[in-house]
Amino acid sequence: MRAGKIILAGCLWGAVYGIMNGISNTVLLPSAPFISIRPQIALPMVIGIISHPSAGFLVGFTGNLIGDGISGFGLWKFWNWHLANGLIGFLPGMIVRYAGIGKIATVRDFGILEMGVIAASAVSVGAAVLLDYGFLHFMNFPESFPSWILPAFLTDAVNGFILVPAVLIMARRLILTLETRTILLITTLLVLAILSTAISITWSVWDDLVSTEAMIENFYLAGIISVLFIVAGFVASIAFIRRITDPVSRLILAAEEVEKGRYDLAALEPISRRSDELGQLSRVLQVMADQVRKRENHLLLQVQELQIKIDLDRKAKDVAEIVETEYFQTLKKRAKEFRAS
Amino acid sequence: MAKTIAIHSFRGGTGKSNTTANLACLLAGMGRRVGIVDTDLQSPGIHVLFGLDAKGPGYALNDFLWGKCEVTRAAYDVTAAAESSSGGRLFLIPASIRAGDIARVLHYGYDVNLLKEGYHRLIGDLSLDFLFVDTHPGLNEETLLSIAISDILLILLRPDHQDYQGTSVTVEISRQLEVPRTCLVLNKVPENFDRAALAAKVSAAYDCKVVGVLNHEDQMMTLASSGIFVIRYPDHPLSSEFKSIVREVGQ
Repeated sequence: MRAGKIILAGCLWGAVYGIMNGISNTVLLPSAPFISIRPQIALPMVIGIISHPSAGFLVGFTGNLIGDGISGFGLWKFWNWHLANGLIGFLPGMIVRYAGIGKIATVRDFGILEMGVIAASAVSVGAAVLLDYGFLHFMNFPESFPSWILPAFLTDAVNGFILVPAVLIMARRLILTLETRTILLITTLLVLAILSTAISITWSVWDDLVSTEAMIENFYLAGIISVLFIVAGFVASIAFIRRITDPVSRLILAAEEVEKGRYDLAALEPISRRSDELGQLSRVLQVMADQVRKRENHLLLQVQELQIKIDLDRKAKDVAEIVETEYFQTLKKRAKEFRAS
Repeated sequence: MAKTIAIHSFRGGTGKSNTTANLACLLAGMGRRVGIVDTDLQSPGIHVLFGLDAKGPGYALNDFLWGKCEVTRAAYDVTAAAESSSGGRLFLIPASIRAGDIARVLHYGYDVNLLKEGYHRLIGDLSLDFLFVDTHPGLNEETLLSIAISDILLILLRPDHQDYQGTSVTVEISRQLEVPRTCLVLNKVPENFDRAALAAKVSAAYDCKVVGVLNHEDQMMTLASSGIFVIRYPDHPLSSEFKSIVREVGQ
């Protein structure tokens, strides 16, 4: 049953992966030799993490097989790359499992995930290269390094690095907490900074190496693009930080309301819907205020219903016991004169 | 004309000593000459609040009652504890905490009428404006005497069933003894009680004025039996409540 599910998921998503590979193999982008756009690489990795490492392997393996078939490379010609794609789906899931990570909610979890993605890219490309070196002999060394091996590794690593967390957020496997928000912010800025430089340099050297002037002009353009990315990243980070600090100040206001004896915290509703630590704090605060209000109402009610019940018979008996003594009678007679003296 | 104020409660642990000490300190702080007599000979305690060593070699109320000394010899000046700067004075006449003395009281008793003499002498010799009598819980002979000779009887009660029942007896006794004024002070009231509603209910049940509603205060508990709350926390709401009691009884 479990195995059946894994195979089903592997083959279905493998087909999707294969079709996408077929498309991106035909559409060559101008900057392809450096980092090509291959978003589907996240697919085997994500399936390997969410479903099972073997399902990830199946997606990568069958996907590459189908992709090669569509592109007309021949089904089994590059079989080493089928294996490499399988490994890329298998390893991140395996690493996450081995580290005992369920939901990704902390910086540690996130770090292991991203390291897993990069390690999987490196190991799988390395495996493909070794198999080629040993059996297939399509590559020439060292020429293939800059033209084939390095681009393959960079493409997989960078695409996976950016997209795997994004897809895992959508799949609710990566939870947005203060920790993950912070590390996502930093990661996004880093990626944007590196990408802006990488893309603009690739662009600037792509089809114009004839004149120094043209090259300088292109570098200026690259500079401008980088600046634009930095500005965009900066604005985005401000928005991210506000998403954290605004709720904190509203939570403080709410706590002050409770202190003043106002227990209606409906205003916290939007914060309570958050999945992170602030949402948790907000929910706890709401429940707490509600409990306090209930207890307080209960006590007020008790006082309102409070009957001062005095057992009159017992009282009369107790009073009589004292009053009937000789001592008391003497005391009563002389009490006035005592006070007067 | 000096006023004798007896402080009583049906059960122990209602905070008699604490209330007495706080009210006396406030009055001394207002420039009055105040005395406190600890007639709780069986379980004395108020001396601790004033940092007085009742085990020491000095005289106590017991010695007077057994004819060993003049009552004024057992009066200690504890004005320092009230931090009065307006010429007020505060005297404490402690009960002995020596085990032998307590056993002797329990076994042989003493001449209760002598107690009345003692109050009289204290007021005269120390020119007191107020004499507080911290009584033993329940209604034994010396307590009845203290109630009988007091101008004001302050009954302390907690808002619970046993205290409600016991207080009804004390109120009735004070009526029979024709005590000029009998007032109630509610103590250790949980903070979330509606104080005004509680005071109104209690006042109606006994046909007796409630002059104070004192909340149960953690700080009071922390202070425990060392130090006077109104002196340590003069701006605390509980201190204002003590002040309003003083305004009621000090007129």
